[in-house]
Amino acid sequence: MGIKKTHVTAEKDRISWAEKIAYGLGNTVNNLLGGAIGYMSIVLNVGLGIDPVLIGSLQALPRFTDALTDPVMGYLSDNTRSRFGRRRPYIFVGAILVGITFALMWQLKPGLSQMFYFWYFLIFSIVFYLFYTMFATPYVALGYELTSDYHERTRLMGVQNFMGQFAWICLPWLYAFMENDRLFTDAVQGARVLAVVIGGVVIVLGIIPAILVKERYVAPEVDKKEKQSALKGMSENIAAFFKGLVLTLKRKEFLKLCIGTFFLFNGIQLVGAFSSYITIFYVCGGDTGMGAKYMGLFGTINTLSTLAAIAFITWISSFIGKRKAFMLATSATLLGSLLKWFCYDPMAPWKVLLPAPLIAIGMGGLFTLMGSMIADVCDLDELETGERREGIFGAIYWWMVKLGLSLAFALSGFLLKWTGYDIIFVGAQSAETFIKMRIVDVVVPATACIIAIVAVYRYKLTEEKSIEIRKTLDLRHVELKEVVAS
Amino acid sequence: MIKHIKNRLNLFLILSLSLLILNCNKSGSGKAGNSDNEIQKINITMIAKSSKNPVFQSAHEGAEQAAEDLSDKYSKIDVTIDWKTPLNENINDQVDSIHNAVNEGTDAILISCSDRKILTESINQAVDKGIPVMTFDSDVPESKRFAFYGSDDNEIGTRLLEKLAELIDGKGQIALLGGNQDAPNLQNRISGIKKAAENFPEIQIVGEFYHPETSEDAAATFLQVNAKYPDLKGWAMVGGWPFFDETLLDKVEPGKQQIVVVDALPEQLPYIEKGIIQMCLGQPTFTWGEISVKQIVDHIAFKKEIEPIKNMNLIQVTSANLGGWARQLRAWGFKGLTRHFLTM
Repeated sequence: MGIKKTHVTAEKDRISWAEKIAYGLGNTVNNLLGGAIGYMSIVLNVGLGIDPVLIGSLQALPRFTDALTDPVMGYLSDNTRSRFGRRRPYIFVGAILVGITFALMWQLKPGLSQMFYFWYFLIFSIVFYLFYTMFATPYVALGYELTSDYHERTRLMGVQNFMGQFAWICLPWLYAFMENDRLFTDAVQGARVLAVVIGGVVIVLGIIPAILVKERYVAPEVDKKEKQSALKGMSENIAAFFKGLVLTLKRKEFLKLCIGTFFLFNGIQLVGAFSSYITIFYVCGGDTGMGAKYMGLFGTINTLSTLAAIAFITWISSFIGKRKAFMLATSATLLGSLLKWFCYDPMAPWKVLLPAPLIAIGMGGLFTLMGSMIADVCDLDELETGERREGIFGAIYWWMVKLGLSLAFALSGFLLKWTGYDIIFVGAQSAETFIKMRIVDVVVPATACIIAIVAVYRYKLTEEKSIEIRKTLDLRHVELKEVVAS
Repeated sequence: MIKHIKNRLNLFLILSLSLLILNCNKSGSGKAGNSDNEIQKINITMIAKSSKNPVFQSAHEGAEQAAEDLSDKYSKIDVTIDWKTPLNENINDQVDSIHNAVNEGTDAILISCSDRKILTESINQAVDKGIPVMTFDSDVPESKRFAFYGSDDNEIGTRLLEKLAELIDGKGQIALLGGNQDAPNLQNRISGIKKAAENFPEIQIVGEFYHPETSEDAAATFLQVNAKYPDLKGWAMVGGWPFFDETLLDKVEPGKQQIVVVDALPEQLPYIEKGIIQMCLGQPTFTWGEISVKQIVDHIAFKKEIEPIKNMNLIQVTSANLGGWARQLRAWGFKGLTRHFLTM
């Protein structure tokens, strides 16, 4: 592995720090919206008494609407031609609408029937996710097309991912905020106020990328005419949408990235609950106070390490390339996952903290590198199809992440049942149960890391090839301009 | 044009947010708005049977933990525990502790009663003076206490017998070890065993054997009965006294008899590991203090309706979950657990 910088970013391809930060603020909003609804849902059960099974349905049902709305939004944005661009109008309007919807969906008061709450929240959830898609899909696509430089893309994604972490730092405190009896009478009132605050933050931060980030993509005149005529017939649009969808799903390099993300991200998420159970019930012997302390410390170390890992991976990828950087980062997570086996020690609970920094490296690298690599795939796609389709690539990629997350949560429950865990026994679970829990906690993420490494190992868009594609595309754009001009 | 749209949007946003915030404040101005800023101090006097007994030490830890958690969680509440437990079990000391607590102006009393009759009177006097009383572990149901938290002794007896019947295939001679014959909770457990035995016609109870509640006396009784009934297939013990020291560790052949016991204290763990005891019903004694204190605070500070009797779930301990149970005991404040068990 030679540490040698092989490519220097041209001045025209550089994005200013201000613009990177403005773009990154959108990711703070993106993560805040994605996480807040989950962190605040506890109020639905604790404060309003909704059955946990119904709450599970409330979280799962919008995934089905996402399956349709995400790619449609991607297609719509890809094919929009306006004086403000094809992404920014949606980001601007989407941020405002999603912020208002989020604030409204939590305006619940105690004393009403469970089914009222269920339908109220379900309807608002579907509307919320619709506007969330309206904001997030064009936002993600915007990042893929902000620069055509191989490394500048990674730096942009690094800043975006870094800023997104601020949401994850705040999210674990939401429940404590809602429960604070100095501020609110109860958690339900806390949720009402908090939702307004979050809605406000979402609107203010969410419109910043739309206002301050400049769209680079300029549709050729020929393309514009084609699009205008295509809008005449809905059936033509639907056919084009499905054709595009199939083309995207057939793009092998894209699928490798999806497989890598799906396994790495969901493998780690799936065992999140197991790590908590093992720490509280095995390492701390059922001492929930002590367990919570170590889980809190683990989370803090993990977040700080993720921030450091994003910077490190962004830097190292400019020397060794994205593919190798991804494999390096994921190997660190693999090592951290294996290390957990030796660090669950009831005689020395502090050892549970040791794997945290290693596990964070892979997760820090994941969304930094994947965003950048998908942008490279979009170049390859343009080379072969003549179209820029960042919207649909981003939509499918993130829908796959969200779907995987839902599946991971569901599977986590089944696996916990398989281990024989029974709450009645508190810390006195059987030795067999603890062994099974530890096996799942180590084997699942380790296997997921290996699959992710193998998938990305076979990814063929090297730095040289990507730069080659880019040059061809630039040349093609110049030729096209000349044709149009003549 | 864009500037104009921005101005309009800004105005719209400010108005929408202001309306929402106003709505939230309006609907949430009930309790918090009316309450003053004074902190409500809740002093709970805790009177267990004996401060030397590790199960009550663990209950004390649970009470302190709950007091700390509640004080942290609610800014307007400060809960403290006043531990007034006699060194050794003594009814008069418990009576004195109740009277002193009332005179000192305690806010509530939490007690495990060593005697029914005398303490009923003291509890009623305290309640008449406006002090709420809750019992744990050992109840006085005839008193004016507002709630009890502990195990259902009849249910314990039933579980013991059913487990023993399973281990001896529902037939054969068994003996019951009963401890102090005058203790009402132990009597309830014995009667629970006897009632459950009616469902197993091939099980013959050779007798109920009582003894002073020391490990020496219990071990001696155990050995005498075994000598007298050589075909004895099993024991149901309503307390774990014979195994509170190592006396029997080398004197009993593992597996020869099936033994089920109430309680699973650290001293008993080697017996479970060796296969002398097949199953214990462990009492989560930490929760005696933890849950009772939470109920008292709910009753006093939040005026919540409390169930008069809340039963405690006992945890089955066998060789399969010995390590987990040992770690759980450590978490509940028990001492003397060896590394061997903690790392199982």
